[in-house]
Amino acid sequence: MGTLNVEGLSFRYPGSSDAALQDVTLAIPDGGIFGLLGPNGAGKTTLISILAGQLQGATGLVTANGESLAALRGRRPGFLGIVPQEHAFYSMLTCAENLRFFGGVQGLAGARLKEREGAAAAFARIESVLARRAGRLSGGLKRRLNLAIGLLGEPQILLLDEPTVGVDPQSRAFLLDSIRSLAGKGRTIVYTSHYMEEVEAICDRVAIIDCGRVLVSGALSEVIGGGSGLEEIFMQLTHRSLRD
Amino acid sequence: MRRLLALWEKECLALSRDLLGLAVLFLMPAAFIVIMSLALSDAFKGSPAREIEFAVIATDSALADRFAKNLAGEGFRVVPGPASEDEARNSVRLAKHKLVLVVPRDFQQAMVAPLGGGNAPPELTLLADPALPPVQLLAFRQRVLGVALALRVSAMMRGAGIAVDADALDLRRAAALRVETVGGTGRPSSVQQNVPAWLIFGMFFVVMPISSLFIVERRDGTLARLVSMRVPFSLLLLGKVGPYFAVNLAQAALMLLAGRVLVPWFGGETLALPGRWDLLAAVTACTSFAAISWGLLVAVCSRTLEQATVIGGVGNLLAAAVGGIMVPRFVMPEAMQRVAEVSPMAWALDGFHAVMLRQGGAADIALPCIKLVALALVLLAAALWVHHRRRVLSPA
Repeated sequence: MGTLNVEGLSFRYPGSSDAALQDVTLAIPDGGIFGLLGPNGAGKTTLISILAGQLQGATGLVTANGESLAALRGRRPGFLGIVPQEHAFYSMLTCAENLRFFGGVQGLAGARLKEREGAAAAFARIESVLARRAGRLSGGLKRRLNLAIGLLGEPQILLLDEPTVGVDPQSRAFLLDSIRSLAGKGRTIVYTSHYMEEVEAICDRVAIIDCGRVLVSGALSEVIGGGSGLEEIFMQLTHRSLRD
Repeated sequence: MRRLLALWEKECLALSRDLLGLAVLFLMPAAFIVIMSLALSDAFKGSPAREIEFAVIATDSALADRFAKNLAGEGFRVVPGPASEDEARNSVRLAKHKLVLVVPRDFQQAMVAPLGGGNAPPELTLLADPALPPVQLLAFRQRVLGVALALRVSAMMRGAGIAVDADALDLRRAAALRVETVGGTGRPSSVQQNVPAWLIFGMFFVVMPISSLFIVERRDGTLARLVSMRVPFSLLLLGKVGPYFAVNLAQAALMLLAGRVLVPWFGGETLALPGRWDLLAAVTACTSFAAISWGLLVAVCSRTLEQATVIGGVGNLLAAAVGGIMVPRFVMPEAMQRVAEVSPMAWALDGFHAVMLRQGGAADIALPCIKLVALALVLLAAALWVHHRRRVLSPA
């Protein structure tokens, strides 16, 4: 089970006069892929960072399976995983060393650690490059290593922050298939992206946020309604003006 | 513990992949130890290694010889003098002579005249190179006055009908003076000052790799990822302490070795080893704790590698300059010596000197160690506070 409920979540960065998130309320059901859309600076990464426990000081309530997410993660640290936008691993370490380290800091050891390293590497198809320094991998392999690290703890909820940025079509297709297969195994995926066609292809539900507010949220078909596509709805709601 | 071991392993692997950075931590202090131990060897000796040459010019050649004979020795060597006072001035101006004593024509007669009652003492002129160390100028000046006093006393005694040779009144023959340093095996040598000094300097330079890796971790999002994996920030900091503590211990061992092997190999003195290795280990550990904590605070406060380099590097250089690392504190004026007491490097140096120079006990290292540990705790608390204040690990 990986139901996630966000109720009235607000957050302001220290020293900033504008709220990064304002009264955000979202219901993310168990299983499936939830697309989180918004222009640059809309608050997507802030929301993901709060859910992942990287940012503190938000007001509001975040619950998972009916209990506080923070409390749940206190008991089960691996309940939620994140694959950030950045290549968040050590470029001077090999892929195997990165997997061992990130597994180790999650409390994995011995045979269990070996098993999780192997499973994550196999899932991301990086077994052949385990001995290579992470910094010397291609863009697509870096994204796959990033994904593998996020899967080490077998998270029930996985937050994916623009996981296909800067990769070739083959790697993108592989990553999207992988994400679909994760959802097929009962995991809840929260997926942020600027690629509307990706979201339309893999997400069951979506939310569009802008200026820290949820503009629309619901099943993909409901959000698109009678329109020609997600991008048209997105542009109608968020307007055409440049954001950065 | 499992998570801490994983953090230590990662830190060690990262360090081992930056061999150049690691080498700097060892080669820089070793180079300073050799260079400064050799360069400052004279400053730590009772007399200069190279004798200072002086000349005496006097119309009375016997008197000139008497001065020359009594002034020579213990760091001063007589050389033939210029023909006249004008030539002597020119010679000193051109640094051909360091010291020239000019004895006036009627000097010997003036010595017979009693002092007081309007009689001024006879005037000697000492022409000195301005580059001469003041301490040596003072020593030579005192020696000239000693010879003059012997001449006056012998003249007075002859006047009183007591035949005595002025040479018998040489200060050096008045009594044997044995100088004994107390609380150690001997005088502190250049190498005994410089090995701990540059070891401390090198230990504090772990600020560079600590802050560099930390900033890269923050920039690349690995720090945020670790936080999302519920690794406490305090544990992340602790993960840095272990490996760098090992680096600091290795630095200490190798710098002692440099003092024992490398410096003598280049012609310097051999480092005298301490009697109490446990106390040396305690001082090293406290210094390391302070140095690592300083590195962690710089890492947390700096937003870019450039900031860390400037804050860490300049901070270390200032602490070293003030704290008696670059310039020994005993050559500083009193006011600067008081200022030096605010530098953690000075505290560490006090601790090392207590063990290595004065062969002190636990009580002698207690104060510097307490200061270093207290500083380390304050710096660590500050690092945690700054992190807590910012709350933000990765901007949106």
